[in-house]
Amino acid sequence: MSSEIIFAKGNTMRHRLLVSLVIANTFLAINNLHAEEIKIGMLYPITGGGAIYGSPAQIGHRMGVEEINLDGGLLGLQAISVERDTKLNPATAAAAAKEMITKDGVNVLIGGLSSSVGLAVSEVARQEKVIYIATIAKTIQMTTNKRHNYVFRTASHTDFEGDAMAQIAKQLNAKSICDIQLDYAYGHDLAAGIEKGLARHLPDTKIVLSLRPKLRATDYNVFITQIMGAGCDVVTGGLWGPHFVDFAKQANPFGLFQQIKFIAGGEIGSHEIASTMGRDYPDNVWANSYELWYHHPNEEHKKFHSKLSEQLGTHETTMWPVLAVIGVRMYAAAVKQAGSLDPDLVAEALRGMSIDTPVGPRTIDPTTHQTDTGQFWGPMVKKEGAPYRVMDPITYIPALLLD
Amino acid sequence: MEPLLEFIRENLGSPGLAILISNPQFAFIQLLNSISMGMNYFIIAAGLSLIFGVLKVINFAHGAFYMFGAYITYSVTELMGLSFFWAVLAAAIGLMVMALIIERCLFQFIYDKEHLMQLLLTFALVLILGDLAKIIWGTDQYSVAYPAGLAGATNLGVTFYPSYRLMLCVLGPAIFIALWLFIERTRWGRITKAATQDRDMLSALGINVPVIYTGVFLIGSALAGMGGALASPFNSPAPGMDANIIVECFVIVIIGGLGSLWGTFVGALIFGLVFNFGSVIVPNAQDIFAFLLLLVVLLIRPWGLYGRAESEGHR
Repeated sequence: MSSEIIFAKGNTMRHRLLVSLVIANTFLAINNLHAEEIKIGMLYPITGGGAIYGSPAQIGHRMGVEEINLDGGLLGLQAISVERDTKLNPATAAAAAKEMITKDGVNVLIGGLSSSVGLAVSEVARQEKVIYIATIAKTIQMTTNKRHNYVFRTASHTDFEGDAMAQIAKQLNAKSICDIQLDYAYGHDLAAGIEKGLARHLPDTKIVLSLRPKLRATDYNVFITQIMGAGCDVVTGGLWGPHFVDFAKQANPFGLFQQIKFIAGGEIGSHEIASTMGRDYPDNVWANSYELWYHHPNEEHKKFHSKLSEQLGTHETTMWPVLAVIGVRMYAAAVKQAGSLDPDLVAEALRGMSIDTPVGPRTIDPTTHQTDTGQFWGPMVKKEGAPYRVMDPITYIPALLLD
Repeated sequence: MEPLLEFIRENLGSPGLAILISNPQFAFIQLLNSISMGMNYFIIAAGLSLIFGVLKVINFAHGAFYMFGAYITYSVTELMGLSFFWAVLAAAIGLMVMALIIERCLFQFIYDKEHLMQLLLTFALVLILGDLAKIIWGTDQYSVAYPAGLAGATNLGVTFYPSYRLMLCVLGPAIFIALWLFIERTRWGRITKAATQDRDMLSALGINVPVIYTGVFLIGSALAGMGGALASPFNSPAPGMDANIIVECFVIVIIGGLGSLWGTFVGALIFGLVFNFGSVIVPNAQDIFAFLLLLVVLLIRPWGLYGRAESEGHR
């Protein structure tokens, strides 16, 4: 057979293939227009090191989706949850996000735990023009230099957190500060947030030592002993979760917490840290949390806590579910307002969106796409009758940066 | 002295170095930090080195064994209320049982396979064991209390130092001596050494080589479990903890020489020293020095400080 004939045959075949693809895509598009459900994508770590936070967040996410359906759905459509395990890994999260968009056809991505995962998912959302609501990742970059039309954050961010820590340092009359942060996006951004906060509230106080242990550090002795040798009276730290637990357990025998006051970001005041550490939770720690099961700022929180207790099978509930619920709720409110699933219209609705939540009202800034999410702060103390250390007194520090 | 210290603090950005120079007590504490870290890693890495030395298997799942050791310790101490000593023993025995199943069902088929296949297979085991741990213990993180009498600090005269870490400084060398005596001074140890040199000859002499291999794998895994148990008071049992030590263990074993007990011991000490003092001098780049050392060793002496060149290897 001559090459011309083969080429001609090939052309015909390619033409037929192209036509088939167009027809198939048209049917798919028609099907999507008549989709019977809204697909709410969820991205949390369900296995590995982040599962301790991702698993309860998954429960909160499902509670949020259930809330939508009990309310009659969105635009007459039932909501379903499409879920992926990010394994706390940015590459895995990005691949999962892409698959959820291209294969599963999700209408929105919600979640992301660590800052690096959040940034990775945000980039996918930008490329694919799909709304992404970051419910936990705190890096300031997401709503500043890496902000785009489709990313919104319902979590707090590192400038708010750093400013709150500086306010507490001022209350404690800090003269010299040692700062210890994990060596990745969140840690670096929180350090910058603390510096900005100190410039605002304690301009005469110096950071005399900055330490950056790796994200998977296991031995903190070298950092603990440097802090003790540096002579600072306050330590600011962003060691979250197991990092703080290990740090504190290694620092206790050195007597670190008897010599300094420790202001801990990273939600060290939350239930899972306080309950895990029990009697090993150190003295002189000021910590934060998004939500505390034993503190009801409003009536809705009581109901929410009751429902969550049922889901988790325990009265002492963790704070991660409420963050996931807020993300889903914010999206649902925006879809209702927009009257459409079109990402650009939903994004427009999200700018300036206000909702009520179990931890108070939340509003998204139309310019920065950042929600005004403050946190509860206070010293962690032993209290009669409490199963482990609790925050007392509890102060809500709003998300305000006053110059 | 003060202007020099100020220069080091402000211009070199190394407050830790300034403290190191001006405070001998601080330097001594870093030395103890180095030794205790090194011994913690040695106990874990010794098993990895033993398994490679005899079985020629690069066991990427060694970190998962360490994790199981930590979890077992939590279960025995916090849930069953038994003492830490029993927990460490339970971790060692538990890992031996687990290792027996894994060796008989899986590892015995990969001894002669190329290293890439072994790595891939053991990596698959990491994922399986990670999920198994999640099924058994859930996704929460746990806290193991320091054993009674070792929770505080010991007065060394010049400084106070955590008692538990001092115990590790003693236990590490004790385990090294016990292993060395086993390998050098017992019949089974000599047979194990012979298996690293010529297993065909050994088999021809009537020694049941598969039993030797199984025994070595059990001992290596028990060491990983013990390492996890001993680390659990200061490294909380939590999902993903296996990934936190496996890289360092490989670095130590490569620096010291794959399959060399002396190499692993010395490699662990060197790692501890380089990491701790390096972290003091350049606080925001802790890993640089240890991995630079690894690079230098690989370039100059790729078989490690105490290893043997390829031509003298296993047949």
